[in-house]
Amino acid sequence: MAQDNKIIEQIVDRYDADVGMLIPMMQDLQAECGYLPAEHVRCLSKRLGIPLSRLYAVATFYSSFRLAPKGAHDVTLCMGTVCYLKGSGRISEAICREFRVEPGGTTRDRLFSFQAVNCVGACALAPVMVVDGKYYDGATPDSALEILHKLHPAEEAAETTTKEAQSD
Amino acid sequence: MISVSTRFTSCADIETFAQKLRSEGGPASKLVRVCIGTGCSAKGSRRLYELFCEAAKQSGQDVRVEAKCVGCHGFCERGPIVVVEPGDIFYQRVEEPDVAEIFRETVLGARVVERLLYEDPGTGKKAEKANEIDFYKVQERIVLGNNGLIDPTKITDYIAEGGYKALAKVLSSMTPDDVISEVEAAGLRGRGGGGFPTARKWRSCREAQGSPKYVICNGDEGDPGAFMDRSIMEGNPHSVIEGMLIGAYAIGSEQGYIYVRNEYPLAVEHLKMAISQAREFGLLGKNILGSSFSFDIRINRGGGAFVCGESTALMASLEGRTGEPRAKYIHTVESGLWEKPTNLNNVETWANIPAIINRGGKSFADIGTEKSKGTKVFSLVGKVVNSGLVEVPMGIRLRQIIDDIGGGIPDGKRFKAVQTGGPSGGCIPAEHLDTRVDFDELTKLGSMMGSGGMIVMDEDTCMVNVAKYFTNFLQKESCGKCTPCREGLAQMLYILDRITDGEGQVGDVERLEGLAELLEVTALCALGKTAANPIISTIRYFRDEYDAHIKEKRCPAKDCRGLFRYDIDPEACKACGICLKNCPVDAITGEKKVPHVIDQEKCTLCGTCWEKCPFAAVLKV
Amino acid sequence: MPTVTIDGCKVTVKKDATILDAAKKAGIWIPTLCYHSAVSSDASCRLCMVELDRGDWRQLVTACNYPVRRDIVVYVSSERAQQARSGVMELLLARAPESQELKALAERMGVYETRYPKVTESQRNCILCGLCIRVCEEVIGQAAIGYAGRGADRAVAAPFRQPSEDCIGCGACAAICPVGTIKIRIHEDEQEVEISPFKSRAKLLVCQECGALIASTLVNEQALTKANLNSEEFRARLRLCPKCRRLQTVAQLGAVTFRKK
Repeated sequence: MAQDNKIIEQIVDRYDADVGMLIPMMQDLQAECGYLPAEHVRCLSKRLGIPLSRLYAVATFYSSFRLAPKGAHDVTLCMGTVCYLKGSGRISEAICREFRVEPGGTTRDRLFSFQAVNCVGACALAPVMVVDGKYYDGATPDSALEILHKLHPAEEAAETTTKEAQSD
Repeated sequence: MISVSTRFTSCADIETFAQKLRSEGGPASKLVRVCIGTGCSAKGSRRLYELFCEAAKQSGQDVRVEAKCVGCHGFCERGPIVVVEPGDIFYQRVEEPDVAEIFRETVLGARVVERLLYEDPGTGKKAEKANEIDFYKVQERIVLGNNGLIDPTKITDYIAEGGYKALAKVLSSMTPDDVISEVEAAGLRGRGGGGFPTARKWRSCREAQGSPKYVICNGDEGDPGAFMDRSIMEGNPHSVIEGMLIGAYAIGSEQGYIYVRNEYPLAVEHLKMAISQAREFGLLGKNILGSSFSFDIRINRGGGAFVCGESTALMASLEGRTGEPRAKYIHTVESGLWEKPTNLNNVETWANIPAIINRGGKSFADIGTEKSKGTKVFSLVGKVVNSGLVEVPMGIRLRQIIDDIGGGIPDGKRFKAVQTGGPSGGCIPAEHLDTRVDFDELTKLGSMMGSGGMIVMDEDTCMVNVAKYFTNFLQKESCGKCTPCREGLAQMLYILDRITDGEGQVGDVERLEGLAELLEVTALCALGKTAANPIISTIRYFRDEYDAHIKEKRCPAKDCRGLFRYDIDPEACKACGICLKNCPVDAITGEKKVPHVIDQEKCTLCGTCWEKCPFAAVLKV
Repeated sequence: MPTVTIDGCKVTVKKDATILDAAKKAGIWIPTLCYHSAVSSDASCRLCMVELDRGDWRQLVTACNYPVRRDIVVYVSSERAQQARSGVMELLLARAPESQELKALAERMGVYETRYPKVTESQRNCILCGLCIRVCEEVIGQAAIGYAGRGADRAVAAPFRQPSEDCIGCGACAAICPVGTIKIRIHEDEQEVEISPFKSRAKLLVCQECGALIASTLVNEQALTKANLNSEEFRARLRLCPKCRRLQTVAQLGAVTFRKK
């Protein structure tokens, strides 16, 4: 726990242990570790005096939280109305079939984590796929698979989630 | 150039500072404005900005050149967008190799690069300025006026364009009741979807017992296809801050929150910068502009939950809990965040406030219809030629938005429906295109204004599939707290899945209608109550499609897999053999130079041949 | 004090009492599932819907948490209210077809079957009323279980789906569960109590005389601290099961011979 304390202490201090900022705290934790490690969550629970069951409820309620380590790359497919009408559903099926992964999950070899989100607000570029922060517009099943097959497991994946250095 | 930040200590300081800023900009300066909104950024506009900056530095001319990054113009379809001043020359779809040419020809040479100008697809006419383009001509940009003009990361730009003048006016010459009266005269109604009269909400919160009081900006814009709030938060964050300051003063609040959805990192970044700069300038914090009014803002990010756009769910999220709505028998203006009086408004609502104070409520009320005043920002997307954000006066006809601004339907297809109001809204067919857009008119048609999403659909769209899409979306986003929403959506989705899989049963439409009615009266929150709107509105206007799916196992729009056939057009077929090779069940036969044929008995309707044919010879029948 | 006219019957209640309170006073039965007087009401099951007279229209509201602040008129037996309640019950029956308690409640309401197929199952036989969660948090103060997930996949679980470290094995959740899903299991050989389906276990106190299993050690710890009974005498008595304790007491009076093993 001594090791955990440092990360958690830093995060808790950043927000003055304000329990209302629990979600930003968990977002910072995930930005730091790539996911929400159970032992850190337990530590956070004790530090803030919030029951662990509530932290677990929050971690499993919001789509952006991951309880398992993510893949080397982050792949996000927009499933907003416009992207869907322009075929993102078929792209999702193709990705799931090809890489044997479910939306919200990570490929077995940890090559990439796959998320389907509701709308990234770039509807004129539909269908939109974002890989490691890079936007690909007008995606098709073929082009999406091509991009994903080019991903290297050994590559240092760019940190896609913005690290929030300090609160507002 | 004013480089030292000033701290304003009185209302007069702002006007003095603004005048100083305006006189600094000499008439000879040349300016290149590069849009770095999410849409244009995705197409590499940040690199363009860097290149323009480099060019400006190296130009070494007597004429001072400046490159500025600006927020979303709204015409995302045509991004990246670059505007050159003087002349307001509007360039679209700019790429890296174009930078040098634009700089040489237009910035230094005052000549226009024709090929980068917008060309009207119908007439072929080129437009030099934005206001010559149909997309912009019909718009009335009150809220989006400064988008594309100012650098959202520089508070000085906002002030130079008249920013914070409304706040100065309020703090120096208006009482809180004066402010509420002005907003009441304007007739402003909430822009987030509820359409509730803003002044009434403020007044109730002002009169509520309890302290402290909170104001919240709902930036959780969850409707897929809607990105109005994103563009305001990214492109003009100070308009929101100024609005909140004025509202907080009117209500008697000292603490505000802006809740931004997690998927908008650039909006969060720009808001944070704006807040930090506002604090530096003494516009946030204690004793603002020398008055006794103190106010500050905190930003909180969503965790990825559509339901958090609902006000009580949002407040639960701000309290560090799961985003579950609660009963509103006691309104949030009486008991909201931390059980204190709370006033929540949408981004666009807040952004309208400075304009209302500046031009006066009555002037604002001159725009729009009797019960829906002012303008509304819509995100016009989908099967439409010009897609992007448009701001139009309430009361404009749907047809004008889709045809005059949107340029109609591409690829020669026919208009089928326009979906408004997101997952809580409905689809409006062609026969109602002359409807004047306002809160009540759209509700009468079985849809709603919602936050402003306007998704255009053409003849190739299956309306049953559209209903299924929204039901699936809501089912995934349902918080799960109440029985009707959690179970009812699953039941409706089950029926819709059956219908689109070709297993619809007679009585399915009635079952859907029964569930819809049950949800409307028993669900706990607006998500559940309006969840069946997409289904009911498509049943209302496109019943024939449901009937075809159920009784004939046929999808008239030829979208639902398995409910239509594929056939090869013998005239278009070049006998290349690609379809034959790729067919997983060997249902295609044909020799060289002979049009290929699909054996309908063997065909599994997978659609591979249609996808692979390079000559579009495979038709959906 | 506001008056509630409920199905024609007038009762007065305290301000901020609920429609359900008024109904109880009037002797009118409204079916409930997620409501329990021991915990807070969040009206999530939507079973207790009644019609509230709004003048030119009637609003359907949940009786268990609608606060009465002025004179109101309520209809419980109106057709619209009954249909709403039946509709909700049918959805619940579809979700949890095995529960006898649910069926009994449905029959009392006049609902004998459901037209809906079973399409959701995140947790067998659970209707997600949340009573177990609320009793554990609000009454017992342990918050050992909570919701996991969202929407139709929502379930009640201990954190990380592991046996909870905060569970004291009291069984309050089992007692309050209206559909008989949560069960207390005693494991004789391991001398433990298990709360099923959460897999949480707690050691049981063993009678030092006869070896019977008494109660969860953790519950006793809590009781001792909460009730401020830390005396050695009390602790000594806890080492015996109730039967042996009675025998010991009576033996002290000389009525029986109590031979210590």
